[in-house]
Amino acid sequence: MLGAKDIAFLLVGVGIKLLLWPAYHSTDFEVHRNWLAITNSLPLSKWYYEDRSEWTLDYPPFFAWFEWALSLAAQWWDPRIVQLDNLGYATGSCVAFQRLTVMVSELVLFSALGRFVQASGGTKQSKIAAALMFLSPGFMFVDHVHFQYNGFLFGIMVYSLVFAMEGHDLLAGTTFAVLLCFKHIFMYIAPAYFIYLAAGYCAVFRTRRRQPVGRCDLDVGASAQRLAKLGAAVVVVFAVAFGPFAVLRQLPQLASRLFPFKRGLCHAYWAPNFWALYAFADRLLILASRFVPAIGHAIDLSGLAASTRGLVGDTSFAVLPDIPPAATFIATLLAQIPAYAVLIRGSSSSGSRNKKRRSGSQRFIQSVVLCAYASYMFGWHVHEKAILLILAPLGLLTAAPTQGTLRMFAVLSTAGYYSLFPLLFGSQELPIKAAVLLIWVLCSLALLKSDRGLSAWHCLLRAERLYVLGHIPLFIATELLPSCAFGRLQFLPLALVSVYTALGVTYSWLGLIHEFVL
Amino acid sequence: MAPSSPQPQARQAASASRRAGVIPVERWFWFLAEENAQGIALPVTLLFALLVRWCVALHGYSGQGSPPLYGDYEAQRHWMELTWYFYDLSYWGLDYPPLTAFQSWACGWVAHLINPSWVALDRSRGIETHTSKLFMRSTVLVLEALIYVPAVVLLFQSRQIQANWIVKQAAIFSVLLQPCLILIDHGHFQYNAVMLGFLVWTVYFAAREQYLVMAACFCCSLMFKQMALYFAPAVFAFLLAKCFRSPYGVRLFVQLGLVVIVTFGVMLLPWMGSSAQLQQILFRVFPVARGLYEDKVANVWCAVNVAVKLRSMFAAPVLLRLAAAATSVAFAPSCIHLFLAVKRAASGQALVAADAVKLLCYALVNCSLAFFLFSFQVHEKSILLPLAPALLLIHEEPWAVNWFVQVALFSMYPLLFKDGLQIPYWVMAVGWSMLRSCPACPADKRTPLAVLNAQWVSTLVMVAIHVANMYVPPPPSLPDLYVVLNVVFSCTMFVLFFAYFNYRQLTLSLVRVRTTRSKKKDN
Repeated sequence: MLGAKDIAFLLVGVGIKLLLWPAYHSTDFEVHRNWLAITNSLPLSKWYYEDRSEWTLDYPPFFAWFEWALSLAAQWWDPRIVQLDNLGYATGSCVAFQRLTVMVSELVLFSALGRFVQASGGTKQSKIAAALMFLSPGFMFVDHVHFQYNGFLFGIMVYSLVFAMEGHDLLAGTTFAVLLCFKHIFMYIAPAYFIYLAAGYCAVFRTRRRQPVGRCDLDVGASAQRLAKLGAAVVVVFAVAFGPFAVLRQLPQLASRLFPFKRGLCHAYWAPNFWALYAFADRLLILASRFVPAIGHAIDLSGLAASTRGLVGDTSFAVLPDIPPAATFIATLLAQIPAYAVLIRGSSSSGSRNKKRRSGSQRFIQSVVLCAYASYMFGWHVHEKAILLILAPLGLLTAAPTQGTLRMFAVLSTAGYYSLFPLLFGSQELPIKAAVLLIWVLCSLALLKSDRGLSAWHCLLRAERLYVLGHIPLFIATELLPSCAFGRLQFLPLALVSVYTALGVTYSWLGLIHEFVL
Repeated sequence: MAPSSPQPQARQAASASRRAGVIPVERWFWFLAEENAQGIALPVTLLFALLVRWCVALHGYSGQGSPPLYGDYEAQRHWMELTWYFYDLSYWGLDYPPLTAFQSWACGWVAHLINPSWVALDRSRGIETHTSKLFMRSTVLVLEALIYVPAVVLLFQSRQIQANWIVKQAAIFSVLLQPCLILIDHGHFQYNAVMLGFLVWTVYFAAREQYLVMAACFCCSLMFKQMALYFAPAVFAFLLAKCFRSPYGVRLFVQLGLVVIVTFGVMLLPWMGSSAQLQQILFRVFPVARGLYEDKVANVWCAVNVAVKLRSMFAAPVLLRLAAAATSVAFAPSCIHLFLAVKRAASGQALVAADAVKLLCYALVNCSLAFFLFSFQVHEKSILLPLAPALLLIHEEPWAVNWFVQVALFSMYPLLFKDGLQIPYWVMAVGWSMLRSCPACPADKRTPLAVLNAQWVSTLVMVAIHVANMYVPPPPSLPDLYVVLNVVFSCTMFVLFFAYFNYRQLTLSLVRVRTTRSKKKDN
């Protein structure tokens, strides 16, 4: 139930979000307005063909239906919002409407987190973890300033994870299928779901009395029954989503919209992952080539002007070998091995049934984290916003974390949320992003406690504390210094942000693997 | 075993009952204390105050996009562009005292460094580019952070404010997030926080018993905006009473006089050369020619005007004298009381510094409210002046100050509406009522029930006027109906607050003085 405290807390968040209305919004604002217009004015058969605006519909059908539902309200609010030719429409009423839809749809996350608190026994630490996630700078920056509907989507994801925590595996799987039909970026974590549901839900084991501990047989009949149930549920969800388009023979068109393989390895601003470090190493080698002629011979001149100049195109490197998409795919798969290892170790753990279920779902969430992490570290054209995909499930684990998990969370959340700063590049938003992040980091460092009762700040090692504090000079150097201070090296501020945060992100990736797997 | 079990329960019950009387802001600091996280309390408060200010600053300002005269925003920018007293006076001639002129000049100098087009003389009139707005907004923020914020934090952390950690932290939070000042300075656009900051420094140095610095701070406040005169009788009474102490009273008097003369002299130095210049400053700063009141303002003259048309009955000079007399009568009781109490304490018995500060704050509220209600040429924004010392009493008068802020905010609604600040207005109004207020938590045992009910009624009246304003168009014969209703209601409430704070000063503080004296006698 909602208490007075929850409501006060929700309203303070709502207040800040309301005040943020006139702040900067990105092209995603117009993207979503255009989708409102497409779904409102066109028949289903034309949704994925419409291309009058450059912002074509490229989310799966459930999201299109979500936009359609919103467009009904939009029509009543201000009919000009849903006019197809009204490109770039962003008057006060349109901004108010769209910002409001984000805030209202975010209540899904709020209620999901409420359910999460219940599922964790209503402990104080789970409430703190939930509150920190709901008011996290991630959603504040990406949803309420930049403009997207992540609060809504991650709400569905949290629901799915909480269902797994409660032991409703079938429901968890079905919810995840629904989520995939809202936004396909969640495919990053699909492998963890697949293995968890296959091993933890579908496979039913029979134990015989005189069998040695740890040996048991597969109950084929019961397993097949569960597999059929799960399969049927997933098929129904996908049939509802994609069926109409299959009947219209539009699936190839949908596929080409949902998976545009034309983009480069790195975004204009490198998301802080392995490839950011790789690209930076390349830059360093170019500098080094002035002094070491051996490197100079290897320079590929086309790479010199490429990756940092800021176009979403093919990325080519000057010294290091170029990376084909297949290589990132293989690297991602290899990096996902720890995620599977977590689940396999988890299925063989012993203990009472209830405890087993709890620890099983904990391991599942850990595996989701590692799975998302692998895609983030090595994926093709990763967006910095994808950090939310790691931080959201990891945030659920901070309700009762081990010291190691808490340390990694502190490092990763600081670096990861800081890496969103270039999204809000205007000087108008400068104080906002700094204040929001600082408040959040202060609160999380002081209020999150390890299972032994130590606060996150006290858990951190000295080097990790230095790293967290190092974001302050980084902020001063990259955001407060005038751009002329960097002379010809205009790419340097962004590159510094990527590399510095990539160090923290990589460090806590290794730390989490150590924590979860070993 | 048996006796040990009820004990934790009793402790729990005790802590629960202690918490029942806690308003939501205090609950946050309770929580931090329980979590052993007191260290982040002040940084988070300051950062949150910054965040809210900057978010409000994203919204509209006075006279945005409305040529040819624009509003206060353009006035302040224009002063940065010219900064002195003789220049095309019909276009926002500078009408504040020299310290404002210095501040405009300094800001103009910085602006010129960054982008000369923002402050180019004449050519920049009505400039409303995105970056120039950002610059202007950040000057307000920086000045407030330099002057107002440290004064508030230091004052509440000093030993002279007697309250526990939670109450003090909640008081700092509330004073810094007080809606009226934020909406006027960062929304409407003015630099009131500088003047009020100097006032808080005045109180702070009174608490530290450093009267010379105190006098200098008050002179700065006066030289920033002549409106600080609203406080002058109280400050004067306080310092004069201090001069009656033996044996160094006369020396203090001379020193104070010197400090005042030197402070004023330094600030007026650039104009000392010609009497014409000085006259011009005086004329610009005190525009007695402007009439009894300008727009609709919730003071007595404007409210009485609904029934009795004073302005058509009397000539302006008569009204001026009438207003002066009424104001003097209104502020006399509290100032005389302050003078006598401090003087009695100064001669012989020591008045505890904490009590002296409390007394001074009450007198400042009463004195400035007297000016607001009865003086000549009052602006609706001037309610910020009584609010500032009242907020310094927020730990003493939790419900009265909270209520006062609500009504003051309501009284400024017509102004904020003109500036397109409805969203920040509603957010701040609801936020303040929710975080500070008793109606939100009926379990608050510190508030008498009758007060709670009265506050409910007042909130309902305000909401009703708002709702009617939104949905019922006023009759054509009374186009200003809702503004007048606002004025009459707010004025009535302000008169009640005036009476209440006077009553509190005259009763409560006297008791305090007597107890300290009796303690002395016991010794």
